[in-house]
Amino acid sequence: MSVQDRLVEGEIVVRLTVNGEERRGIAEPRLLLVDFLRHELGLTGTHVGCEQGVCGACSIRLDGELVRSCLLFAVQAEGSSIETVEGLAPGEDLHPIQQAYHEQHGLQCGFCTPGLLLATVDLLERNTSPSEQEIRDYLAGNICRCTGYVGVVAAVQEAARKLEAGGS
Amino acid sequence: MATTETNAPYVGRPIPRVEDARLLRGLGTFVDDIQRPGLLHAAFVRSPFGHARLTSIDASRARELDGVALVLTAEDIEDLAPIATGLPREEVVANNRPVLPPETVRFVGEAVACVIASSRYVAEDAAQLVDVEYEPLPAVIDAERSLAEGAALLHDGTESNSFAHIEYEQGDVEAAFAAADHVFRKRFHHGRFHAAPLEGRALLAEWDPGAQEMTIWMSTQIPHLVRTLLCHAIGLSEKQLRVIAPDVGGGFGLKLHLWPEDYLVSAASKRLNRPVKWVEDRSEALAASLHAKEIICDLELATKADGTFVAMRGRYVGDAGAYAAYPFTPLVDALCAAVMLPNVYDVQAVRFEVDAAFTNKCPAGAYRGVGWTSGQTARELLVDEAARELGIDPMELRLQNTIPDGEPYVSGTGCKYDGGSYGAAQRKAMELIDYAAFRGRQEEARAQGRHLGIGFSPFLEPGGWSGELAKRMGFPFDYMDSARVTIEPDGSVVVAMGLHSHGQAHQTTMAQVVADKLSVPIESVKIIQGDTAQTAYGAGTFGSRGAVIGYGSISRAAEEVAEKVKQIAGLALEAAPEDIELKDGNAIVRGAPEKAMPMMMVGFTAYFGAFVGGKRPPGIDPVLTSTRSYDPPETYANGCVAAVVDVDVETGAVIVEKVVIVDDCGTILNPMVVDGQLVGAAAQGVGGALYEELRYDEDGNFLAGNLLDYLYPSTLEIPPIEVGHLQTPSPVTDGGVKGCGEGGTIATPAAVVNAVADALSPLGVTIARTPLDPSHVLSLIREARG
Amino acid sequence: MKPAPFKYVAAETVEEAVAALGEHGDEAKVLAGGQSLVPLMNLRLATPGVLVDVNRIAELSGVRANGNLEIGAVTRQAAIERSAEARAAAPLIVEALRHVAHPPIRSRGTIGGTVAHADPAAEIPAVLLALGGEVVARGPGGERTIPADELFQGYFTTALQPDELLTSVRFPAQGPGARTALQEVARKQADFALAGAVVAANVGDDGTCESARIVLFGVADRPLRAPGAEEAVTSRSLADVAVLADAAQSAAAGIDPTGDAHASAEYRKEVAGVLVRRALTTVAEGGVRA
Repeated sequence: MSVQDRLVEGEIVVRLTVNGEERRGIAEPRLLLVDFLRHELGLTGTHVGCEQGVCGACSIRLDGELVRSCLLFAVQAEGSSIETVEGLAPGEDLHPIQQAYHEQHGLQCGFCTPGLLLATVDLLERNTSPSEQEIRDYLAGNICRCTGYVGVVAAVQEAARKLEAGGS
Repeated sequence: MATTETNAPYVGRPIPRVEDARLLRGLGTFVDDIQRPGLLHAAFVRSPFGHARLTSIDASRARELDGVALVLTAEDIEDLAPIATGLPREEVVANNRPVLPPETVRFVGEAVACVIASSRYVAEDAAQLVDVEYEPLPAVIDAERSLAEGAALLHDGTESNSFAHIEYEQGDVEAAFAAADHVFRKRFHHGRFHAAPLEGRALLAEWDPGAQEMTIWMSTQIPHLVRTLLCHAIGLSEKQLRVIAPDVGGGFGLKLHLWPEDYLVSAASKRLNRPVKWVEDRSEALAASLHAKEIICDLELATKADGTFVAMRGRYVGDAGAYAAYPFTPLVDALCAAVMLPNVYDVQAVRFEVDAAFTNKCPAGAYRGVGWTSGQTARELLVDEAARELGIDPMELRLQNTIPDGEPYVSGTGCKYDGGSYGAAQRKAMELIDYAAFRGRQEEARAQGRHLGIGFSPFLEPGGWSGELAKRMGFPFDYMDSARVTIEPDGSVVVAMGLHSHGQAHQTTMAQVVADKLSVPIESVKIIQGDTAQTAYGAGTFGSRGAVIGYGSISRAAEEVAEKVKQIAGLALEAAPEDIELKDGNAIVRGAPEKAMPMMMVGFTAYFGAFVGGKRPPGIDPVLTSTRSYDPPETYANGCVAAVVDVDVETGAVIVEKVVIVDDCGTILNPMVVDGQLVGAAAQGVGGALYEELRYDEDGNFLAGNLLDYLYPSTLEIPPIEVGHLQTPSPVTDGGVKGCGEGGTIATPAAVVNAVADALSPLGVTIARTPLDPSHVLSLIREARG
Repeated sequence: MKPAPFKYVAAETVEEAVAALGEHGDEAKVLAGGQSLVPLMNLRLATPGVLVDVNRIAELSGVRANGNLEIGAVTRQAAIERSAEARAAAPLIVEALRHVAHPPIRSRGTIGGTVAHADPAAEIPAVLLALGGEVVARGPGGERTIPADELFQGYFTTALQPDELLTSVRFPAQGPGARTALQEVARKQADFALAGAVVAANVGDDGTCESARIVLFGVADRPLRAPGAEEAVTSRSLADVAVLADAAQSAAAGIDPTGDAHASAEYRKEVAGVLVRRALTTVAEGGVRA
């Protein structure tokens, strides 16, 4: 097919892997990936805070990279592998990162939390023992209005300890 | 972390939050997560002008777009009366806000039409097809000019642009000023910023034509008040409306209000017999939700030669925006600021004058700390300036004038402080920030060309906002706050309360309260909040009231239920009810703990009696439930914030090195939760002092319409924040609880601004506004250089 | 807000992308990282009729250091940050990227995208100009090279034609005496600069500045060379405070910035000078390390 034949105007089927599971949904080109995840796939854990790429509430991982799902169109995600907050906890128990946020009071209203969790997953994968400054640098793209970040930083430090000690 | 000295197993301990699991898993339910069959979506056409005549509006093209179900303009909503905001005070002139303006738009972002369509995407497409013509008018964007002789009136049928002009005087203030050795003055224009909760406004209204009832899911702090205030406006009686506040992504006072959008979305659902959802986007939130805290303060402090304060005067002009915020009114800014003018200082001669002036900006209302923040910043800056002029250390000057610790005190504006650690909190803050070492550090730094500064801000936090406190602050209002405590057959304890948590962990802290009162394991407790169909009436959560109201109402209801438990157990255990104690999930005979009746047995006996071989006591109603209300008296938490900053005098950039917040909120329910509230509030204070500003230009154009212009502080702007605790239980509230939540936002801007002033004082700089952005700071330095 | 409707095509080769751009003319926009474009589309400030997605064009991705440093236009900023080759060849780029937004923005944002977007307050265009780099573009008529000095033409405007696709960004090899520095002031650390300065100098063993390119950003409608400042330091010792002060003054005098809600014109002018002095000081102390 020529590039002209591949021009998409209306709704198409988008197939991708989400949290290890094959999923499909319908999207017109302008449908934002975050809206596709939330309303087409019913994964409402990822939130919308600005649609501008500033607040980080929509953070997910796409093909292993931390991204803003409000700045991607669903049609771009065809064939990709996505991680959202719903995929973190392995089962009944919380993921060690989630457990750390719980223990260190790293959340209050919970709206920014899923984005922060994904950013934390990404950070600790790349840097298993970050300093406080490194944590603050990495999470500067996730706005929290409730906590003042003290509990968040403590949570990430505790999460790093837990993961080093061998929790998944 | 602080702990309350108590034998109680739960209250006072950092019990981890039951809310966390669902929120961490992404399984919370926020309004936009809710799906309903046949759901439609709303979008709004909004004015691009700050002030204009709306000369024509034509929705025909929009109505023709595929997927559009309804478009409402002013002429389509004759059944929706204007929203009238007032107060039963003679000084207040009630203000009407049209649900959709028929003739005049008064701020950028004001909604002029409502579109309902199959998706938000299509609704926005249709919104762009609504043809509106405007004739721009000159905009009023300065509150003082708005009040000046000859200013154009922003509302029909009014005599001035002031929502209310209020004056107060105690003592012979003029004489005190005339006799004073020194008079210090300060004019301060506090910047306009806002709560900016990460989840904006959102509601989903679903009219059920069969049952003739409506359910509204709303991101709100006040579900019952929403029900009461909204129902008649949309043609319903209270029993036909159910309001559910699910998980709420932050409120901070913003979500204590109602807006035209709420009326329109609900009315649309009723007209269409379809559920309709509206989720505010960030642009709407910034331009058109609720602004706060912009007050022009003119303060005067009269002292003796030795620095003893003798009198204070304050003139406060609040910038109310285009309409009075409903229902709390713009007076939450200027009037609250004025009433707390004397703060912790022993000053009995006080005079204030307040105005809330309409301007062509977004309406202004409540945001964490309300006007106390703005008044605090202006006054504490004045105190530091007075100290510098008198040649007295600013903390020495403060402590010299601070009311004694521990004793109740009636302030110069009539506030009944219930005794606190007014001086001790200041000393503790000085200790935690190592004030003693700071001046040496500062001098060393100056020698190297670095400008460090330190600032302090002792504060009071009026807590438990209730009838008595509201009236003291100038708002004639009583509140119905109640809680229902029920023991189910299996011994589970269910509390249904009128408060609603939006981050404060009520589901955990209130469970702690009732678990202690009934001595049951906390795992057997469930807290129901937010659903008016399931809960007892309450005014909601705001104004540092959750802990006070919750503790009191739940305790009272629990005590009544406990009495019945004792009666039932007494009969079963052959003891007098007075000899029955509740302990660890059982009712036991005091002194003979082997004679115990587990709560489940109590429950089954009450409900089913003979079926479990039990007997109900004669003469009592065995229903194991009680609903009680609590209306606390005035109570005031206190504390002190200290901040250290580093000012780059070549670029004007201010780095906050550290913030310390010392807080005394009396009895603490959960120290982990309290610490989170203190730190979160302090962070918002840093934001307001340095980064956040909702600016308008001279023509009323809005300049902060996206997040590259309105700057949320991130992990890089907020420094480490240290918390210190003191505890002076209130002698007048149930349990000695004073309330917590706003202290950080009340006091932190003042500490940061004072620190910057301290850093720059050798350069002769005076600070007269917030925020202190680099461009402004450098201009102050440049001006002082001459 | 939600974006207006558009048509979408994912190109798989450069030829396909160029053909699509040619076919749709003014209606079409390139979708690379999307970190600048999509926010504008979400606010409906940009309403392209067709998006040509270039993210799947494999040949446009990659860092190659063979004398010059050549980076494919669709190479993610994060990949450049992590590239040892890039860091060795031009540590200034890696340093500049630290100032660009946040990690998740850099994981999608591309170097070609940020250069083509030409935000006058952005770091990478200024770095390209300071290092004397160039871009390669392909259009219906073939390939051409555009030096940085000719690339940036005004607010969000480059010399690229609507039917041209930027394919790679090149930075010249740095000599042994090359030293660089970047200084900026922003309201929030990760935001666009209120003012910024980039210095790329060649410094002799005795500390004399043999040549320098000094670029200011955030103070005009494009990144600007500061010729007065460059002259002030050429053949002079950077350890001489008076030389640095001179350069700072020339830099400030040579610009006429506008004010906006974030900073006044006077602010930008004054601070531009300060930042030039600070960047030169960093260079005097050795510059950005690899």
